Amino acid sequence: MPVPVIMPKFSMTQEEGRVMAWLVAEGDIVEKGDPLLEVETDKVTMEVEAPESGVLRGVAVKEGDVAPVTAVIAHIVLPGEVWRAEPVKATPVAQRVAAAAGVNVGDVPAAGKVRRQDVEAYLGKVRATPAARRLARAQGVDLTAVNGSGPHGRVQAKDVIGPVVEEKAVQPVSAMRRTIAERLTRSYQTIPHITFTVAADMTAVTDLRRRLNERGDGATVSVTAVLVKVCAWALGRQPLVNASWREDGIQLHEQAHIGVAVALDDGLIVPVVQNAAHLGLAAIAEQVQDLTARARNGRLQPADVQGGTFTISNLGMWGVEQFTAVINPPQSAILAVGRTVKQPVVVETAVGDELVIRPMMKMTLSVDHRIIDGAVAARFLQDVVAALEQPDRLLW
Amino acid sequence: MPDLMQAELKTQTHAAEAVREMTYAHAIREALQLAMRRDERVFMLGEDIGVYGGAFGVTDGLIEEFGAERVRDTPISEAVIAGAAIGAAVTGMRPVAEIQFMDFITLSMEQLVLQGAKMRFMFGGKASVPLVLRTPAGSGTGAAAQHSESLEAWFVHVPGLKVVMPATPYDAKGLLLAAIEDDNPVIFVEHKLLYRTKGHVPEGYYIVPLSQSEVKREGRDVTVVATSIMVPRALEAADLLAQEGIELEVVDPRTLKPYDAATVTRSVCKTGRALVVHEAPKTGGFGAEVVAEIVAGEAFDYLDAPVRRLAGLDVPIPYNRELERTAVPQVADIVREARALARGEY
Repeated sequence: MPVPVIMPKFSMTQEEGRVMAWLVAEGDIVEKGDPLLEVETDKVTMEVEAPESGVLRGVAVKEGDVAPVTAVIAHIVLPGEVWRAEPVKATPVAQRVAAAAGVNVGDVPAAGKVRRQDVEAYLGKVRATPAARRLARAQGVDLTAVNGSGPHGRVQAKDVIGPVVEEKAVQPVSAMRRTIAERLTRSYQTIPHITFTVAADMTAVTDLRRRLNERGDGATVSVTAVLVKVCAWALGRQPLVNASWREDGIQLHEQAHIGVAVALDDGLIVPVVQNAAHLGLAAIAEQVQDLTARARNGRLQPADVQGGTFTISNLGMWGVEQFTAVINPPQSAILAVGRTVKQPVVVETAVGDELVIRPMMKMTLSVDHRIIDGAVAARFLQDVVAALEQPDRLLW
Repeated sequence: MPDLMQAELKTQTHAAEAVREMTYAHAIREALQLAMRRDERVFMLGEDIGVYGGAFGVTDGLIEEFGAERVRDTPISEAVIAGAAIGAAVTGMRPVAEIQFMDFITLSMEQLVLQGAKMRFMFGGKASVPLVLRTPAGSGTGAAAQHSESLEAWFVHVPGLKVVMPATPYDAKGLLLAAIEDDNPVIFVEHKLLYRTKGHVPEGYYIVPLSQSEVKREGRDVTVVATSIMVPRALEAADLLAQEGIELEVVDPRTLKPYDAATVTRSVCKTGRALVVHEAPKTGGFGAEVVAEIVAGEAFDYLDAPVRRLAGLDVPIPYNRELERTAVPQVADIVREARALARGEY
């Protein structure tokens, strides 16, 4: 800390002294004992010596001016110390509190003028109501870091907890809601998700569905049913997407059992189309229709929801264009399907680029990065898009 | 003044009969009637309570029903009223004595404090003093310093006495019946300005148990603990502040001794802020006791502001009407204090 130079008292009756001359300029180096300035009293003129070795700073009394005895008239800044050129701005109360505690008010960190609460915070004292202290204890909040909004910067309960918001009563949750919460939390916390979005031209699928559904001799073929068929085929070509991460390694699944997420009034459930790769589109359409209907009526059997290896979540019928889904463990991938929307698309033709209107559908694949790298996910999506745009590939 | 007030009381009470809304004075009269019909040991004594019907008309008509033996006019001697009542109580009667103005209870102090309050203890429980001493307190009638005192804190300080201070007609009737049933001397402090206030009073005999504080209005922001006339004033203040979005919770101790502090503690734990309001002078007042109970217990850790007291000034009640109003808390004072507390200005 800089050493103060004070107006010395040379005689019993002296009350003030006049600075006749500074013998060292502001910013110059002095040695302890060097003559620093000349002081004149009503009786004598004396030299004042430097009390320490250092740099003279903060000369507060000009030559010819008078200062009371013991007043600080300059400082000697010791080697290694930094001199605060700016005079410290502090409220009178802050100065009094600092002085009473033996603290240099210049050492108190403050934004702008040093206030009483800054000094108290520096001293480790916090003004806080009992309620604020109780809440801070309970929540592990450091009260010295809280800005008090009360009188004299007193910390109040609302400063610790924020403004009180009127909450509605807590709703008890169903067993299904709790299961969803637990499974998805575990999934999102433990599985490193990466996501990939592609768009498919649905012209061919639209045409295919129209032709099949015109026959009128079976269940309606939905986009979801087509996707079940397509994904089952694509999973056969990319076995890593049809797999599960386990502690001892990666479990590849022999068959593709495709789960279809069904929204319910109070949750969602994922019935499974078993062994979808071996089913024709008619059988898949029938199963999807049956499972969806029974899911909504609460009539699914345990076997209907077990064994899925991949999930499709289609929100296209709700108008969603694109979204990201959370993987349904122990699966390693889930396909989030948006709505088919007519869009301007540039296609390459023999005569050059052409702007056409096409029904496009966006899909986002979330995969478990522990198993599936970007290239594998991309190849899977390429296959899915290819099969949707040219369904005859499924005949290969 | 008494004549005018009596006449008004009579018309008010008769009109109110049909809907069971009645005045505080009428509710007390009904409690006295029911107690005297139920138990022949219950009798009344006091100045001008018989033929005249009481200075505030509370006992009007009772002498007609129960006779001069059970509604006894006494000489103007408060020491005799208290002493005779204590003597009667010790010998097995259940007297209800009236001191016409609480100011003059000062003349009964030796009987009440040195005799009545101590007998049960000094005789090892062989004697009991089932006495109720009714008395109107408070200012607001322009009756000056010697007819406006609120001396309840004196009695709260005396072991052996119970102190009850109802604020509504409902409480006045139920608490008076509870006090008459109690085997200890009970100082029952009424308020002159409350006599004419109206409220719901059920028919028949019912008890409001002693030593149960009541939340008169629920609110989340500031707990206002108010006694007697300050209860309706606090409720009016709460209505006004509700328009500003400040919700006061008004708690009425009803019985000052033994005092149910737990209800106030629960309330302060909820609101984190407390304002204590009474008419009696602040220094040494019952409010100090309420504040002490708040900060000494569980509520301490929930306080989010200093606990404030709003009470009468430390002066004799002035005769001048404006000064009289200034000497005790009014609705605007409660609004100002509670608002400042709610806004975190203290």
